[in-house]
Formats: sequence, C-alpha cells, structure tokens
Amino acid sequence: MNELGPRSVPRLRPGCRLNPPGGAEDLLLIPEGALRLKGPARGIVELCDGSRPWSAILEELTLRYPSEDAARIEADAVALLTRLRDRGAMETA
Amino acid sequence: MNYTPRALIAEVTHRCPLHCVYCSNPIEMQRRSEELTTEEWASIFRQAGELGVLQLHLTGGEPLLRSDVAALVAAGRNAQLYINLITSGVGLDAARLDALVAAGLDHIQLSFQDTQEAFANEFSGTRSHSLKLRVAAMIRERRLAFTVNMVVHRRNLARLEEMIAFAEEAGAQRLEIANVQYYGWALRNRDALLPAREQLDRSVEIVEAARERLKGRLRIDFVLPDYYAKYPKPCMNGWGHQQLLIDPAGTVFPCHAAGVIPGLEFASAREHPLRWIWEDSPAFNRFRDESWMPEPCRGCDRRARDFGGCRCQAFLLTGDAAATDPVCTLSPRHVVVEEAILSAGRATGDNKLERDWVYRIDPR
Repeated sequence: MNELGPRSVPRLRPGCRLNPPGGAEDLLLIPEGALRLKGPARGIVELCDGSRPWSAILEELTLRYPSEDAARIEADAVALLTRLRDRGAMETA
Repeated sequence: MNYTPRALIAEVTHRCPLHCVYCSNPIEMQRRSEELTTEEWASIFRQAGELGVLQLHLTGGEPLLRSDVAALVAAGRNAQLYINLITSGVGLDAARLDALVAAGLDHIQLSFQDTQEAFANEFSGTRSHSLKLRVAAMIRERRLAFTVNMVVHRRNLARLEEMIAFAEEAGAQRLEIANVQYYGWALRNRDALLPAREQLDRSVEIVEAARERLKGRLRIDFVLPDYYAKYPKPCMNGWGHQQLLIDPAGTVFPCHAAGVIPGLEFASAREHPLRWIWEDSPAFNRFRDESWMPEPCRGCDRRARDFGGCRCQAFLLTGDAAATDPVCTLSPRHVVVEEAILSAGRATGDNKLERDWVYRIDPR
C-alpha cells in the first residue's frame, strides 16, 4: 500500500474478509489467523470496499461520529489502516 | 480455565501422490475405506463453528484426491469458517480451481519441496515439481490469497534465497518457510535432514534481510528447527488450548503427532459430540493445565509461555510424554538433542542417495 492520500482507494487484500456480523466479536479473518477489531474498526473496514476514495471514507466517518474531532477520527482511521497494511490485509488501488 | 478452539486441521484423507521424506502424517495411516463422508465432515464443521473455530485447514495427504473437496469447502463456509486448502497442487486444473473458488475457498497454500526440479522430485519421491509450477501460474491468474510453503532442511537451505525469489515471482502474498519438524517420517530421516548450526544462522540473516526488502508485498513466516532453540516451542500454543486436528477416520487429536503417545485414548467424532471431546475427554485434558509438569517446568517462569514444550517430542526423544521437552536447555535429558545434532553432522547426508531415504508410503 502506498501512502494513504485523499484519492487512494483502500480495499482488503485477497483472502481477507470480515467475520459474519452479529457475532460475539468483530474479527478480520486473514490467511494466518484473525485480527480483533474494536469499536468502530469494523465499520471503517466495511467502508474500504474498493469503491470509495479515502477522502469519502473520512467524510462518511465524520458524519457518523459528529461529536468527535475530525482530526482525531482521521488519526485513528489511519492508524487502523496502517496496522492492517502491515499485516498484509489492506491494499490501495 | 476455558479454552476456545480457533483452528481445525482436517486431514480429509491420508492418500497422497507424493512420498515426502518429512511428511507430517503419522506412520500408521488411515485407509480410504475408513474415511469420513462429506456429510460427516459437514456435521463436524458445524460443530466446530459452534465451538468457536474460525479457521478450517483442509489438508491430507492430498485433499484433492477426494472428489468432494468443493462440497467440503462449501460445507465449511456454511459453518461460517474461513477456508484454507493445503495442497501439493497435484490434481488441480483450471475448472476445479474455479469450482473451489466458487464454493468459497478463501486461501490456498501450495507446497514446494525445492526450487530445483531434481531435488524437489528427490525429496517428494515423485515427479511433481513441474506440475506445481503450472498450478502456481493458475493461482496467480485469479484473485485468490496464495501462500507458498517451502519445507527446508539440511539439503536445501543453500537455496533459501532462490526460494524467496521464487515465491516473489510466483505472486504469493505469503511465504511460509518451514524447517522440518522431527516427528513420524522426518524423524526416520533426521540424520539427513537436520541442518547444521551455521546453515541455520545464515538462514536467519537471509530471512531478516528479505523481510525488510519485501515489507508490505510478501509476508514471510519462518519456522525454526527447535533442536537449536534455547527453550522449547509453545507447541500448538498449548495442548488443547487453541487447535484440534481430525484424521481421515474422524479421530480427534490436539496436534499432528499426538497419536504416538501411548496410554491416551483419542475419541472419534463419529461417536462423540465435538464439544465433549474438546471440553471433557480425558485425552484433551491430560496436558492441558500445569498439573502434569515435572521439574524444571513446574517452577519455571516460562511455563505459561511455552507450556513445557511439545508432549509428542518429549515422548519420541525420552520415552516419557510427561517429561520436559528435551530441546529445552534446562531439560535433564537435553543431551539426546545434542547427540542428534552431532549424529547429523557425522552422517553423510549431503551425499545421500535416493535409495537411502525412508519415503512416506501411501495407505491403501
């Protein structure tokens, strides 16, 4: 994954998918195991579906969490995507 | 303490067209006539999902020797599992691969024995290498998660850099470099397979450099040979803690090798609910907590980290499954591991001829 710019379009890499919703925990299933997703992380990963640019994902998140500071939302989302990229779970088109 | 199984290793058949000298299947294999049916596996997958299993590893033998692999993949997906197919690739053509993907296959792990055909064919006792290359190309053409698995040992570690380049070129996202583990068939060929310390040190340097260079492109998992470790591996992350293995006939084990341990009765999923086997069967509870531990494990700070090591290895090397894993430098029996290393160093493994290997046989 290159640096995350406003026009980059993130998506899960092959072999990575979310567990079915409504389970005991939110998990991202990957070839060598599972990553636990906390709080809003599942929703963020769902938005990374290969159709939305990063700018649109951030916009959507600020709408979802109006009481949160936009810079804080962005920092958290970038941290999540970086973690997933480092585990080989996320790529950008 | 409650344990939740996260992975189910399903050995759906012990039949295999390859005869690898380090095969992880038991010496005593299940025959075709004993194999579970599609429906029996589907029931097991459902029970596994209810127990908390996330990942299903379909393996063998060669799982593709069963004509119902796509149905097994679909049954696993119905049970909400993540499906990994571990295969030699023998028996895979484009139509079959498409059917597996359509059934919901999440990931494929293709094994290689070497990068050079003559060696690969020698270690697998078959002419399968060129076919595997065609399968790798077929996988690359599809958007399918792909791991290249390379089994490494004394006789092929010299080509480790070639292996990494090969995985990169093959378009794999992940490369698993697995040093041979000395159970079953591999134990019989140990003198020829166990690497020298210098080989091992060099391989660690190569892998570290490659990890840095390939960051974000190719993930490298590296399994070290535990004979050279200071402390034992946390085998299976603890006996009956996270994983279970079911053999072709439905017998449920905590790992690949546990069947060698005498005095344990492993229950069949044909006769008992999986939940009972996991939670309550005596065999799964035999080494689950710390009450079985001898000294020096019992008073060791590391006991919750490595669980005393591997029970099967303890049995195979000392005759006592409840001994400290002798690879541990604190084990009173560690000398057996030092002797094995010396023995491999003296052996003429580098000039071994094909007729000297003990090849894995195929069950009828």
